[in-house]
Amino acid sequence: MTDDDRVPVDPPDERVEDELPAEIEALVAQVEGVVPEPAVPIRRGMLDREERLIKDGILRMGSQVVDAIRAASDALERHDIEAATQVIKDDPFINELQRHVSGLILVTIATQQPVARDLRYLLTLDHVASELERMGDHAGSVAKQARHLAPEPPLQRNMHLAEMASLAADNLHAVLRALVDADPDQARRVARRDDDLDVLWHRTWDEVAVLMRESPDNVDRGMRIMLAAHYIERIGDRTTNIAEDVVYLATGEIEDLNP
Amino acid sequence: MTIDTDASDITLDLHALGETAESEIASLPAAINIRDVSVYYGHFRAVKDVSVDIPRQRITAFIGPSGCGKSTLLRSINRMNDLIPSARVEGEILYHGENLYASYVDPVEVRRRIGMVFQKPNPFPKSIYDNVAFGPRVLGYKGNMDELVEASLRRAAIWDEVKDKLKQSGLALSGGQQQRLCIARAIATEPDLILMDEPASALDPRSTLQIEELMAELKQNYTIIIVTHNMQQAARASDYTVFLTMDDDRAGYVVERDVTMNIFTRPKNRLTEDYVSGRFG
Repeated sequence: MTDDDRVPVDPPDERVEDELPAEIEALVAQVEGVVPEPAVPIRRGMLDREERLIKDGILRMGSQVVDAIRAASDALERHDIEAATQVIKDDPFINELQRHVSGLILVTIATQQPVARDLRYLLTLDHVASELERMGDHAGSVAKQARHLAPEPPLQRNMHLAEMASLAADNLHAVLRALVDADPDQARRVARRDDDLDVLWHRTWDEVAVLMRESPDNVDRGMRIMLAAHYIERIGDRTTNIAEDVVYLATGEIEDLNP
Repeated sequence: MTIDTDASDITLDLHALGETAESEIASLPAAINIRDVSVYYGHFRAVKDVSVDIPRQRITAFIGPSGCGKSTLLRSINRMNDLIPSARVEGEILYHGENLYASYVDPVEVRRRIGMVFQKPNPFPKSIYDNVAFGPRVLGYKGNMDELVEASLRRAAIWDEVKDKLKQSGLALSGGQQQRLCIARAIATEPDLILMDEPASALDPRSTLQIEELMAELKQNYTIIIVTHNMQQAARASDYTVFLTMDDDRAGYVVERDVTMNIFTRPKNRLTEDYVSGRFG
Protein backbone atom coordinates (compact mmCIF):
# COMPACT_ATOMS: atom_id res chain seq x y z
CA MET A 1 0.00 0.00 0.00
CA THR A 2 1.42 3.36 -0.99
CA ASP A 3 0.98 6.55 0.91
CA ASP A 4 -1.57 7.70 -1.65
CA ASP A 5 -3.84 4.76 -0.98
CA ARG A 6 -4.32 5.55 2.65
CA VAL A 7 -7.73 6.75 3.62
CA PRO A 8 -7.39 10.27 4.99
CA VAL A 9 -8.28 10.51 8.64
CA ASP A 10 -10.17 13.55 9.87
CA PRO A 11 -8.23 15.48 12.46
CA PRO A 12 -9.72 15.04 15.93
CA ASP A 13 -12.45 17.54 16.66
CA GLU A 14 -10.73 20.05 18.89
CA ARG A 15 -14.03 21.56 19.97
CA VAL A 16 -14.72 18.51 22.14
CA GLU A 17 -12.04 19.60 24.57
CA ASP A 18 -13.46 23.10 24.63
CA GLU A 19 -16.86 22.06 25.80
CA LEU A 20 -17.91 23.39 29.14
CA PRO A 21 -19.10 21.13 31.91
CA ALA A 22 -22.89 21.12 31.97
CA GLU A 23 -23.12 22.86 35.33
CA ILE A 24 -20.83 25.69 34.21
CA GLU A 25 -22.77 26.03 30.99
CA ALA A 26 -25.98 26.32 33.00
CA LEU A 27 -24.41 28.99 35.23
CA VAL A 28 -23.17 31.07 32.33
CA ALA A 29 -26.49 30.72 30.54
CA GLN A 30 -28.23 31.93 33.70
CA VAL A 31 -26.16 35.14 33.76
CA GLU A 32 -25.65 35.80 30.08
CA GLY A 33 -28.99 34.53 28.83
CA VAL A 34 -27.31 32.10 26.41
CA VAL A 35 -24.63 29.45 26.36
CA PRO A 36 -21.57 31.25 24.96
CA GLU A 37 -20.68 30.26 21.44
CA PRO A 38 -17.91 31.93 19.46
CA ALA A 39 -19.30 34.76 17.36
CA VAL A 40 -19.75 33.89 13.68
CA PRO A 41 -20.11 35.89 10.48
CA ILE A 42 -23.70 36.71 9.62
CA ARG A 43 -25.03 36.86 6.06
CA ARG A 44 -26.80 40.16 5.74
CA GLY A 45 -28.78 39.34 2.63
CA MET A 46 -31.12 42.30 2.47
CA LEU A 47 -28.88 45.23 3.34
CA ASP A 48 -26.07 43.96 1.09
CA ARG A 49 -28.52 43.43 -1.77
CA GLU A 50 -30.00 46.90 -1.41
CA GLU A 51 -26.57 48.50 -1.21
CA ARG A 52 -25.62 46.73 -4.45
CA LEU A 53 -28.77 47.96 -6.18
CA ILE A 54 -28.08 51.52 -5.06
CA LYS A 55 -24.46 51.34 -6.18
CA ASP A 56 -25.54 50.01 -9.58
CA GLY A 57 -27.99 52.91 -9.91
CA ILE A 58 -25.25 55.41 -9.08
CA LEU A 59 -22.88 53.89 -11.64
CA ARG A 60 -25.60 54.02 -14.30
CA MET A 61 -26.20 57.65 -13.50
CA GLY A 62 -22.47 58.31 -13.55
CA SER A 63 -21.92 56.74 -16.94
CA GLN A 64 -24.89 58.67 -18.38
CA VAL A 65 -23.46 61.94 -17.06
CA VAL A 66 -20.00 61.13 -18.47
CA ASP A 67 -21.67 60.38 -21.83
CA ALA A 68 -23.68 63.62 -21.65
CA ILE A 69 -20.55 65.70 -21.03
CA ARG A 70 -18.73 64.09 -23.96
CA ALA A 71 -21.79 64.36 -26.22
CA ALA A 72 -22.31 68.04 -25.40
CA SER A 73 -18.66 68.74 -26.14
CA ASP A 74 -18.87 66.77 -29.39
CA ALA A 75 -21.94 68.70 -30.44
CA LEU A 76 -20.06 71.94 -29.78
CA GLU A 77 -17.08 70.80 -31.82
CA ARG A 78 -19.13 69.56 -34.75
CA HIS A 79 -21.68 72.41 -34.65
CA ASP A 80 -24.35 69.74 -34.48
CA ILE A 81 -27.72 71.10 -33.33
CA GLU A 82 -29.40 67.70 -33.32
CA ALA A 83 -26.73 66.09 -31.17
CA ALA A 84 -26.93 69.01 -28.74
CA THR A 85 -30.72 68.70 -28.60
CA GLN A 86 -30.40 64.99 -27.83
CA VAL A 87 -28.24 65.76 -24.76
CA ILE A 88 -30.97 68.10 -23.49
CA LYS A 89 -33.67 65.51 -24.20
CA ASP A 90 -31.75 62.79 -22.31
CA ASP A 91 -31.34 64.80 -19.13
CA PRO A 92 -34.76 63.81 -17.65
CA PHE A 93 -33.58 60.18 -17.60
CA ILE A 94 -30.71 61.16 -15.32
CA ASN A 95 -33.14 63.08 -13.11
CA GLU A 96 -35.44 60.07 -12.98
CA LEU A 97 -32.56 57.78 -12.01
CA GLN A 98 -31.63 60.16 -9.22
CA ARG A 99 -35.17 60.10 -7.79
CA HIS A 100 -35.12 56.33 -7.97
CA VAL A 101 -31.73 55.97 -6.27
CA SER A 102 -32.50 58.53 -3.55
CA GLY A 103 -35.84 56.84 -2.88
CA LEU A 104 -34.12 53.49 -2.51
CA ILE A 105 -31.58 55.02 -0.11
CA LEU A 106 -34.37 56.53 2.00
CA VAL A 107 -36.20 53.20 2.21
CA THR A 108 -33.01 51.35 3.06
CA ILE A 109 -32.12 53.76 5.86
CA ALA A 110 -35.66 53.58 7.24
CA THR A 111 -35.98 49.83 7.12
CA GLN A 112 -32.44 48.57 7.72
CA GLN A 113 -31.28 51.24 10.15
CA PRO A 114 -27.68 51.03 9.00
CA VAL A 115 -24.81 52.33 11.12
CA ALA A 116 -21.10 52.98 10.79
CA ARG A 117 -19.72 52.35 7.30
CA ASP A 118 -23.11 51.26 5.91
CA LEU A 119 -24.62 54.56 7.02
CA ARG A 120 -21.70 56.57 5.64
CA TYR A 121 -22.00 54.61 2.39
CA LEU A 122 -25.69 55.37 1.94
CA LEU A 123 -25.36 59.03 2.91
CA THR A 124 -22.40 59.35 0.57
CA LEU A 125 -24.24 57.74 -2.33
CA ASP A 126 -27.26 59.98 -1.75
CA HIS A 127 -25.04 63.02 -1.98
CA VAL A 128 -23.26 61.61 -5.03
CA ALA A 129 -26.66 61.05 -6.67
CA SER A 130 -27.64 64.70 -6.24
CA GLU A 131 -24.21 65.87 -7.45
CA LEU A 132 -24.55 63.70 -10.56
CA GLU A 133 -28.04 65.04 -11.19
CA ARG A 134 -26.68 68.61 -11.10
CA MET A 135 -23.78 67.62 -13.33
CA GLY A 136 -26.31 66.27 -15.83
CA ASP A 137 -28.01 69.68 -15.74
CA HIS A 138 -24.66 71.37 -16.37
CA ALA A 139 -24.02 69.08 -19.36
CA GLY A 140 -27.46 70.09 -20.63
CA SER A 141 -26.54 73.75 -20.20
CA VAL A 142 -23.36 73.23 -22.21
CA ALA A 143 -25.52 71.58 -24.91
CA LYS A 144 -27.81 74.63 -24.93
CA GLN A 145 -24.83 76.87 -25.62
CA ALA A 146 -23.76 74.39 -28.33
CA ARG A 147 -27.13 74.83 -30.01
CA HIS A 148 -26.73 78.59 -30.08
CA LEU A 149 -23.13 78.40 -31.29
CA ALA A 150 -23.77 75.75 -33.94
CA PRO A 151 -24.85 78.11 -36.79
CA GLU A 152 -21.97 80.53 -36.07
CA PRO A 153 -18.37 80.22 -37.26
CA PRO A 154 -16.21 79.10 -34.31
CA LEU A 155 -14.40 81.69 -32.25
CA GLN A 156 -10.80 80.44 -32.31
CA ARG A 157 -12.02 76.82 -32.43
CA ASN A 158 -14.16 77.35 -29.30
CA MET A 159 -11.09 78.09 -27.26
CA HIS A 160 -10.35 75.29 -24.71
CA LEU A 161 -13.84 73.88 -24.34
CA ALA A 162 -13.08 70.47 -25.86
CA GLU A 163 -10.04 70.00 -23.67
CA MET A 164 -11.96 71.11 -20.58
CA ALA A 165 -14.88 68.77 -21.29
CA SER A 166 -12.58 65.84 -21.92
CA LEU A 167 -10.74 66.48 -18.65
CA ALA A 168 -14.02 66.88 -16.74
CA ALA A 169 -15.39 63.61 -18.14
CA ASP A 170 -12.15 61.74 -17.39
CA ASN A 171 -12.06 63.06 -13.84
CA LEU A 172 -15.68 62.13 -13.23
CA HIS A 173 -15.01 58.64 -14.53
CA ALA A 174 -11.95 58.35 -12.28
CA VAL A 175 -13.76 59.56 -9.17
CA LEU A 176 -16.53 57.01 -9.74
CA ARG A 177 -13.82 54.36 -9.94
CA ALA A 178 -12.45 55.66 -6.62
CA LEU A 179 -15.97 55.47 -5.20
CA VAL A 180 -16.43 51.85 -6.21
CA ASP A 181 -13.03 50.96 -4.76
CA ALA A 182 -13.56 53.28 -1.73
CA ASP A 183 -10.03 54.46 -2.48
CA PRO A 184 -9.24 57.77 -0.74
CA ASP A 185 -5.83 58.16 -2.40
CA GLN A 186 -7.32 57.88 -5.87
CA ALA A 187 -10.00 60.39 -4.82
CA ARG A 188 -7.34 62.86 -3.66
CA ARG A 189 -5.48 62.47 -6.97
CA VAL A 190 -8.67 63.23 -8.90
CA ALA A 191 -9.24 66.33 -6.78
CA ARG A 192 -5.72 67.56 -7.55
CA ARG A 193 -6.37 67.15 -11.27
CA ASP A 194 -9.27 69.58 -10.93
CA ASP A 195 -6.59 72.30 -10.71
CA ASP A 196 -5.80 71.69 -14.41
CA LEU A 197 -9.43 72.32 -15.22
CA ASP A 198 -9.36 75.57 -13.26
CA VAL A 199 -6.27 76.69 -15.18
CA LEU A 200 -8.06 76.12 -18.49
CA TRP A 201 -11.15 77.93 -17.22
CA HIS A 202 -9.12 81.01 -16.25
CA ARG A 203 -7.24 80.91 -19.53
CA THR A 204 -10.56 80.75 -21.42
CA TRP A 205 -11.85 83.71 -19.43
CA ASP A 206 -8.79 85.84 -20.17
CA GLU A 207 -8.57 84.95 -23.85
CA VAL A 208 -12.30 85.43 -24.51
CA ALA A 209 -12.15 88.80 -22.76
CA VAL A 210 -9.37 89.88 -25.11
CA LEU A 211 -11.36 88.77 -28.18
CA MET A 212 -14.48 90.56 -27.00
CA ARG A 213 -12.54 93.77 -26.51
CA GLU A 214 -11.13 93.40 -30.00
CA SER A 215 -14.50 93.25 -31.75
CA PRO A 216 -18.18 93.59 -30.80
CA ASP A 217 -18.84 90.71 -33.25
CA ASN A 218 -17.12 88.39 -30.79
CA VAL A 219 -19.24 89.33 -27.79
CA ASP A 220 -22.21 87.03 -28.32
CA ARG A 221 -20.11 83.94 -29.07
CA GLY A 222 -17.61 84.92 -26.39
CA MET A 223 -20.34 85.08 -23.73
CA ARG A 224 -21.68 81.67 -24.72
CA ILE A 225 -18.21 80.12 -24.64
CA MET A 226 -17.61 81.61 -21.22
CA LEU A 227 -20.93 80.21 -19.99
CA ALA A 228 -20.16 76.76 -21.38
CA ALA A 229 -16.69 76.86 -19.82
CA HIS A 230 -18.23 77.91 -16.51
CA TYR A 231 -20.63 74.95 -16.53
CA ILE A 232 -17.76 72.56 -17.24
CA GLU A 233 -15.76 74.15 -14.44
CA ARG A 234 -18.74 73.55 -12.11
CA ILE A 235 -18.80 69.90 -13.17
CA GLY A 236 -15.17 69.75 -12.05
CA ASP A 237 -16.05 71.25 -8.66
CA ARG A 238 -18.80 68.70 -8.17
CA THR A 239 -16.36 65.94 -9.06
CA THR A 240 -14.15 67.26 -6.25
CA ASN A 241 -17.18 67.12 -3.94
CA ILE A 242 -17.60 63.46 -4.82
CA ALA A 243 -13.88 62.93 -4.14
CA GLU A 244 -14.46 64.38 -0.66
CA ASP A 245 -17.37 61.98 -0.23
CA VAL A 246 -15.10 59.06 -1.11
CA VAL A 247 -12.55 60.16 1.51
CA TYR A 248 -15.34 60.44 4.09
CA LEU A 249 -16.71 57.04 3.15
CA ALA A 250 -13.31 55.38 3.40
CA THR A 251 -11.94 57.12 6.47
CA GLY A 252 -14.85 58.71 8.33
CA GLU A 253 -12.94 62.00 8.15
CA ILE A 254 -14.23 65.16 6.50
CA GLU A 255 -11.45 66.52 4.28
CA ASP A 256 -11.57 69.71 2.23
CA LEU A 257 -10.07 68.83 -1.15
CA ASN A 258 -10.86 72.18 -2.73
CA PRO A 259 -9.27 74.64 -0.30
CA MET B 1 -32.23 89.92 11.06
CA THR B 2 -28.88 88.46 10.14
CA ILE B 3 -28.26 84.80 9.73
CA ASP B 4 -24.83 83.53 10.58
CA THR B 5 -23.87 81.21 7.77
CA ASP B 6 -20.41 80.45 9.05
CA ALA B 7 -20.37 76.69 9.58
CA SER B 8 -16.73 76.47 10.62
CA ASP B 9 -17.67 76.09 14.29
CA ILE B 10 -19.84 73.08 13.56
CA THR B 11 -17.11 71.40 11.57
CA LEU B 12 -14.62 72.08 14.34
CA ASP B 13 -16.95 70.58 16.92
CA LEU B 14 -17.42 67.44 14.90
CA HIS B 15 -13.70 67.02 14.53
CA ALA B 16 -13.07 67.76 18.18
CA LEU B 17 -15.54 65.12 19.27
CA GLY B 18 -13.94 62.40 17.24
CA GLU B 19 -10.35 63.25 17.79
CA THR B 20 -10.48 63.89 21.50
CA ALA B 21 -12.71 60.97 22.41
CA GLU B 22 -9.98 59.21 24.37
CA SER B 23 -8.76 62.31 26.13
CA GLU B 24 -12.36 63.35 26.78
CA ILE B 25 -13.08 60.07 28.53
CA ALA B 26 -9.78 60.21 30.38
CA SER B 27 -10.48 63.74 31.57
CA LEU B 28 -13.82 62.84 33.14
CA PRO B 29 -13.89 61.75 36.76
CA ALA B 30 -14.46 58.00 36.89
CA ALA B 31 -17.23 56.36 38.90
CA ILE B 32 -15.60 52.97 38.51
CA ASN B 33 -12.16 51.86 37.38
CA ILE B 34 -12.13 48.29 36.12
CA ARG B 35 -8.55 47.03 36.23
CA ASP B 36 -7.40 43.78 34.60
CA VAL B 37 -10.60 42.05 35.55
CA SER B 38 -11.18 38.41 34.67
CA VAL B 39 -14.28 36.54 35.80
CA TYR B 40 -14.39 32.76 36.08
CA TYR B 41 -17.13 30.22 36.51
CA GLY B 42 -15.19 27.24 37.82
CA HIS B 43 -12.33 26.81 35.35
CA PHE B 44 -14.16 28.65 32.60
CA ARG B 45 -12.98 32.20 32.08
CA ALA B 46 -16.02 34.18 30.94
CA VAL B 47 -14.35 37.61 30.95
CA LYS B 48 -10.65 38.26 30.51
CA ASP B 49 -8.35 41.15 31.31
CA VAL B 50 -10.89 43.93 31.06
CA SER B 51 -9.64 47.41 31.93
CA VAL B 52 -12.02 50.33 31.42
CA ASP B 53 -12.93 53.45 33.32
CA ILE B 54 -16.61 54.31 33.61
CA PRO B 55 -17.16 58.10 33.56
CA ARG B 56 -19.23 59.51 36.41
CA GLN B 57 -22.75 60.82 35.70
CA ARG B 58 -22.72 59.51 32.19
CA ILE B 59 -24.40 56.53 30.55
CA THR B 60 -22.07 53.80 29.39
CA ALA B 61 -23.39 50.95 27.27
CA PHE B 62 -21.84 47.48 27.15
CA ILE B 63 -22.61 45.87 23.80
CA GLY B 64 -21.44 42.65 22.20
CA PRO B 65 -22.62 39.31 20.85
CA SER B 66 -24.65 36.96 23.04
CA GLY B 67 -22.54 35.21 25.61
CA CYS B 68 -19.58 37.58 25.34
CA GLY B 69 -19.59 38.15 29.09
CA LYS B 70 -21.09 41.64 29.21
CA SER B 71 -23.71 40.67 31.80
CA THR B 72 -21.05 38.83 33.77
CA LEU B 73 -18.88 41.94 33.74
CA LEU B 74 -21.85 44.12 34.73
CA ARG B 75 -22.73 41.87 37.65
CA SER B 76 -19.18 41.79 38.88
CA ILE B 77 -19.45 45.56 39.44
CA ASN B 78 -21.86 45.19 42.35
CA ARG B 79 -20.67 41.75 43.38
CA MET B 80 -23.83 40.02 42.23
CA ASN B 81 -21.62 37.21 41.03
CA ASP B 82 -20.75 36.47 44.67
CA LEU B 83 -24.17 34.85 44.83
CA ILE B 84 -23.23 32.35 42.13
CA PRO B 85 -21.31 29.35 43.39
CA SER B 86 -17.96 28.83 41.65
CA ALA B 87 -17.91 32.40 40.26
CA ARG B 88 -14.63 34.20 40.93
CA VAL B 89 -13.31 37.64 40.07
CA GLU B 90 -9.64 38.45 39.48
CA GLY B 91 -8.26 41.95 39.18
CA GLU B 92 -9.60 45.11 40.76
CA ILE B 93 -12.79 47.11 40.51
CA LEU B 94 -12.13 50.47 42.10
CA TYR B 95 -15.02 52.51 43.45
CA HIS B 96 -14.01 55.85 44.94
CA GLY B 97 -10.52 54.41 44.91
CA GLU B 98 -11.45 51.35 46.98
CA ASN B 99 -11.26 47.86 45.56
CA LEU B 100 -14.78 46.43 45.81
CA TYR B 101 -13.28 42.98 46.17
CA ALA B 102 -11.03 43.84 49.13
CA SER B 103 -11.57 41.44 52.00
CA TYR B 104 -12.91 44.13 54.32
CA VAL B 105 -15.63 45.32 51.91
CA ASP B 106 -19.22 44.32 52.77
CA PRO B 107 -21.03 43.17 49.60
CA VAL B 108 -24.38 44.32 51.01
CA GLU B 109 -23.02 47.85 51.29
CA VAL B 110 -21.68 47.53 47.73
CA ARG B 111 -25.15 46.66 46.45
CA ARG B 112 -26.69 49.55 48.36
CA ARG B 113 -24.36 52.00 46.63
CA ILE B 114 -24.46 50.25 43.28
CA GLY B 115 -28.05 49.40 42.39
CA MET B 116 -29.21 46.98 39.74
CA VAL B 117 -32.19 46.75 37.40
CA PHE B 118 -32.82 43.51 35.57
CA GLN B 119 -34.17 42.50 32.20
CA LYS B 120 -37.49 41.30 33.49
CA PRO B 121 -39.20 43.71 35.86
CA ASN B 122 -39.19 41.92 39.22
CA PRO B 123 -41.15 43.89 41.80
CA PHE B 124 -41.68 42.15 45.12
CA PRO B 125 -45.22 40.80 45.63
CA LYS B 126 -45.83 43.75 47.92
CA SER B 127 -47.45 47.14 47.69
CA ILE B 128 -45.88 49.83 45.52
CA TYR B 129 -44.94 51.70 48.69
CA ASP B 130 -43.34 48.68 50.32
CA ASN B 131 -41.39 47.83 47.19
CA VAL B 132 -39.63 51.17 47.41
CA ALA B 133 -39.36 51.19 51.22
CA PHE B 134 -37.99 47.67 51.38
CA GLY B 135 -34.31 48.44 50.87
CA PRO B 136 -34.16 51.48 53.17
CA ARG B 137 -35.98 49.51 55.92
CA VAL B 138 -33.54 46.61 55.67
CA LEU B 139 -30.69 49.10 55.91
CA GLY B 140 -32.31 50.71 58.99
CA TYR B 141 -33.26 54.01 57.38
CA LYS B 142 -34.22 56.48 60.14
CA GLY B 143 -35.54 59.43 58.10
CA ASN B 144 -39.01 60.21 56.80
CA MET B 145 -39.94 57.12 54.81
CA ASP B 146 -42.93 58.74 53.08
CA GLU B 147 -40.71 61.46 51.72
CA LEU B 148 -38.07 58.99 50.58
CA VAL B 149 -40.65 56.83 48.81
CA GLU B 150 -42.15 59.85 47.07
CA ALA B 151 -38.75 61.25 46.07
CA SER B 152 -37.66 57.87 44.68
CA LEU B 153 -40.88 57.40 42.72
CA ARG B 154 -40.59 60.95 41.38
CA ARG B 155 -37.02 60.38 40.25
CA ALA B 156 -38.11 57.22 38.51
CA ALA B 157 -40.78 59.24 36.67
CA ILE B 158 -43.65 57.11 37.92
CA TRP B 159 -44.98 59.14 40.86
CA ASP B 160 -47.86 60.72 38.96
CA GLU B 161 -49.06 57.32 37.79
CA VAL B 162 -49.01 55.64 41.22
CA LYS B 163 -49.43 58.37 43.85
CA ASP B 164 -53.09 57.47 44.41
CA LYS B 165 -52.52 53.74 44.65
CA LEU B 166 -49.41 53.29 46.74
CA LYS B 167 -51.07 50.46 48.68
CA GLN B 168 -51.76 48.45 45.55
CA SER B 169 -49.57 45.55 44.60
CA GLY B 170 -46.56 46.41 42.45
CA LEU B 171 -47.42 43.38 40.35
CA ALA B 172 -50.66 45.04 39.22
CA LEU B 173 -48.72 47.64 37.22
CA SER B 174 -47.93 47.38 33.50
CA GLY B 175 -44.53 46.03 32.46
CA GLY B 176 -43.10 49.48 31.80
CA GLN B 177 -44.43 50.80 35.10
CA GLN B 178 -43.05 47.77 36.94
CA GLN B 179 -39.63 48.47 35.46
CA ARG B 180 -39.76 52.10 36.57
CA LEU B 181 -40.90 50.89 40.02
CA CYS B 182 -37.81 48.67 40.10
CA ILE B 183 -35.71 51.70 39.21
CA ALA B 184 -37.40 53.62 42.07
CA ARG B 185 -36.62 50.69 44.35
CA ALA B 186 -33.00 50.71 43.21
CA ILE B 187 -32.55 54.43 43.84
CA ALA B 188 -34.34 54.40 47.22
CA THR B 189 -31.16 53.17 48.88
CA GLU B 190 -29.40 56.23 47.47
CA PRO B 191 -26.85 54.57 45.25
CA ASP B 192 -24.65 56.63 42.97
CA LEU B 193 -24.35 54.01 40.29
CA ILE B 194 -27.11 52.02 38.61
CA LEU B 195 -26.46 48.89 36.59
CA MET B 196 -29.10 47.98 34.04
CA ASP B 197 -29.12 44.58 32.38
CA GLU B 198 -31.31 44.79 29.26
CA PRO B 199 -33.81 46.96 31.16
CA ALA B 200 -36.15 47.50 28.24
CA SER B 201 -35.93 44.27 26.29
CA ALA B 202 -39.23 43.01 27.72
CA LEU B 203 -41.02 46.30 27.12
CA ASP B 204 -43.02 47.77 24.24
CA PRO B 205 -41.55 50.69 22.24
CA ARG B 206 -43.38 53.36 24.24
CA SER B 207 -42.25 52.00 27.61
CA THR B 208 -38.77 51.54 26.17
CA LEU B 209 -38.61 55.22 25.23
CA GLN B 210 -39.86 56.15 28.71
CA ILE B 211 -37.02 54.16 30.27
CA GLU B 212 -34.51 55.83 27.94
CA GLU B 213 -35.89 59.28 28.77
CA LEU B 214 -35.67 58.36 32.42
CA MET B 215 -32.04 57.29 32.03
CA ALA B 216 -31.24 60.66 30.51
CA GLU B 217 -32.86 62.33 33.55
CA LEU B 218 -31.13 60.05 36.02
CA LYS B 219 -27.66 60.72 34.74
CA GLN B 220 -27.83 64.18 36.30
CA ASN B 221 -27.37 62.40 39.62
CA TYR B 222 -26.26 58.88 38.84
CA THR B 223 -23.78 56.97 36.78
CA ILE B 224 -25.51 54.37 34.63
CA ILE B 225 -24.12 51.30 32.96
CA ILE B 226 -26.48 49.51 30.62
CA VAL B 227 -26.09 46.16 28.94
CA THR B 228 -28.15 46.02 25.79
CA HIS B 229 -28.64 43.87 22.73
CA ASN B 230 -30.50 46.67 21.07
CA MET B 231 -27.95 48.58 19.07
CA GLN B 232 -30.32 51.47 18.40
CA GLN B 233 -30.89 51.76 22.11
CA ALA B 234 -27.17 51.95 22.81
CA ALA B 235 -26.85 54.54 20.06
CA ARG B 236 -29.78 56.61 21.33
CA ALA B 237 -29.39 56.37 25.05
CA SER B 238 -25.70 56.13 25.91
CA ASP B 239 -22.82 58.60 25.98
CA TYR B 240 -20.06 56.02 25.80
CA THR B 241 -20.01 52.52 24.42
CA VAL B 242 -17.81 49.58 25.32
CA PHE B 243 -17.78 46.81 22.72
CA LEU B 244 -16.92 43.34 23.95
CA THR B 245 -16.59 40.18 21.95
CA MET B 246 -15.21 36.74 22.69
CA ASP B 247 -12.11 34.92 21.71
CA ASP B 248 -11.91 31.36 20.40
CA ASP B 249 -11.75 30.27 24.03
CA ARG B 250 -15.12 32.01 24.52
CA ALA B 251 -13.70 34.49 27.01
CA GLY B 252 -15.13 37.97 26.61
CA TYR B 253 -12.75 40.90 26.17
CA VAL B 254 -13.00 44.59 25.33
CA VAL B 255 -12.35 45.42 21.68
CA GLU B 256 -13.07 49.12 21.66
CA ARG B 257 -14.42 51.85 23.91
CA ASP B 258 -15.32 55.26 22.57
CA VAL B 259 -17.84 58.06 22.48
CA THR B 260 -21.05 56.37 21.34
CA MET B 261 -21.34 58.63 18.29
CA ASN B 262 -18.00 57.37 17.02
CA ILE B 263 -18.83 53.70 17.60
CA PHE B 264 -21.90 54.04 15.39
CA THR B 265 -20.51 56.31 12.71
CA ARG B 266 -16.82 55.47 12.41
CA PRO B 267 -15.61 52.74 14.72
CA LYS B 268 -11.87 52.26 14.70
CA ASN B 269 -11.80 48.50 14.97
CA ARG B 270 -12.97 46.18 12.22
CA LEU B 271 -14.58 43.81 14.74
CA THR B 272 -16.68 46.67 16.11
CA GLU B 273 -17.64 47.72 12.59
CA ASP B 274 -18.69 44.17 11.73
CA TYR B 275 -20.72 43.80 14.92
CA VAL B 276 -22.60 47.10 14.87
CA SER B 277 -23.38 46.71 11.18
CA GLY B 278 -24.69 43.18 11.66
CA ARG B 279 -21.95 41.27 9.87
CA PHE B 280 -20.84 39.36 12.93
CA GLY B 281 -22.46 38.20 16.14
